[in-house]
Amino acid sequence: MTFTQDQSTVTEISPRELYARLLSAQPLFILDVRNEDEFKRMPVEGHATLRTLNLPYYDFIEDEEAALARLPKDVEEVVVICAKGGASQYVAEVLNNHGYRAVSLTDGMIGWGNYYDTRDVVNASWGRIVQIARPARGDLSFAIISDGQAALVDPLRHINVYRELIESAGAKLTTILDTHVHADHISGGPALSKETGAPYYVHPYDAIHPIDMLPAVIAYEPLRDGQVFQIGQVRITTIWYPGHTLGQVNFLAETPDGGRYLFTGDGIFLRSFGRPDLGGKGEAWTPILYRSMFERLPRYLTDETVILPAHFSTLDEDAGNGIFAAPYKQVLSQNDSLKPRSLEEFTSFVLSHLPVFPPEYVEIKRVNIGLVEPCEGKASELELGKNICALAE
Amino acid sequence: MPHFDQTLDVKGAKCPMPLVKSRKAISELPVGQVLQVISTDRGSVADFQGWVKTAKNVELIAQETVQENGQELYVHYLRRTA
Repeated sequence: MTFTQDQSTVTEISPRELYARLLSAQPLFILDVRNEDEFKRMPVEGHATLRTLNLPYYDFIEDEEAALARLPKDVEEVVVICAKGGASQYVAEVLNNHGYRAVSLTDGMIGWGNYYDTRDVVNASWGRIVQIARPARGDLSFAIISDGQAALVDPLRHINVYRELIESAGAKLTTILDTHVHADHISGGPALSKETGAPYYVHPYDAIHPIDMLPAVIAYEPLRDGQVFQIGQVRITTIWYPGHTLGQVNFLAETPDGGRYLFTGDGIFLRSFGRPDLGGKGEAWTPILYRSMFERLPRYLTDETVILPAHFSTLDEDAGNGIFAAPYKQVLSQNDSLKPRSLEEFTSFVLSHLPVFPPEYVEIKRVNIGLVEPCEGKASELELGKNICALAE
Repeated sequence: MPHFDQTLDVKGAKCPMPLVKSRKAISELPVGQVLQVISTDRGSVADFQGWVKTAKNVELIAQETVQENGQELYVHYLRRTA
């Protein structure tokens, strides 16, 4: 067989199409042809109907027959994935020559990792709440658009996604909100503020690096507990919620039709909650988180308040339409980690469920308050892999 | 720099071509000889390490990264063992 990338006739699947297939929960078979380390660090994840096999592309180069023999015989279609989209074309072509129907993911994991999915949480006469997800990382961010004004909550690094969204809605960005200074990904907030002139708000307690103890050098407006923002017809109230970070806040949006939407950041997740140890002081911050979770926040919430977190851990948290949100009552019923506990029980629960502490999270917090300015290559390296902001299952 | 017998220049070639061409070149090399592969593909470093774990007659002797005209070159030394 001769192979040249320029002349490949292999059909491609775009990240958008792949995401639709993953959400649909239809049977799907992924052949990931990256090396084992890269695969383990960040596989493409889906529902239980997804089957994935890691078989590096060089196994096909070394011994094609042996590699083919390891594929299941019962698959109708194979989605081949590699790092950048080259090796997956090669392997897909081998598969197609042997009677399989194989497609190659465009731009590989780079394309998948940088793919953003935008969809409305609610679209009403007063305006819209839009969820902007980066599915590969499990990152979620939001836009609130009403009467030509727009606010963003927890915008991610690729800021053009937000600029295009707001422009196509015919709105003007007036307010940029971060629920906290993130450790797992680089915020788009400061860059958006610089480009558009819209103020960037973050709580002052998060504007000091918790490990370096150095103050932020970015331009920001300090958030305070109870601060209110009016975005068109939507009223947004700031609720201080220390624990995951000392300056973590939740934003409660109230709409004219009586809707209540809580942008909780890394406060409450649909199946877990934000870990209190990423500032390096888990034992001191756990009782603070306890008071936020069980005393401060509940008085703002009704059963119907829609909880919109900044992360999901698995696609199973999808409400069925690609929206990762649920009413508070439903979250309480399906999220064991939120069940009432004494402080002692809560502390031992937290300390026994802490996942690994990714070392790059310390550096990402430096980036987010301007202490370090990475180039594009370094920035995307820091963001490799999925977020690990929730407690372990 | 280890001793080598032949050089394969795959500068500019993207994955999977550095490995495809190296496999072919190794197969044409006399047993015992060493092939130097010069690549600009950073991913080739980990991929060559993974490949030789299961490759039948290839041993990875050394890898080095060198600067040339402002770009990084990833150089691999492969011996044909059988």
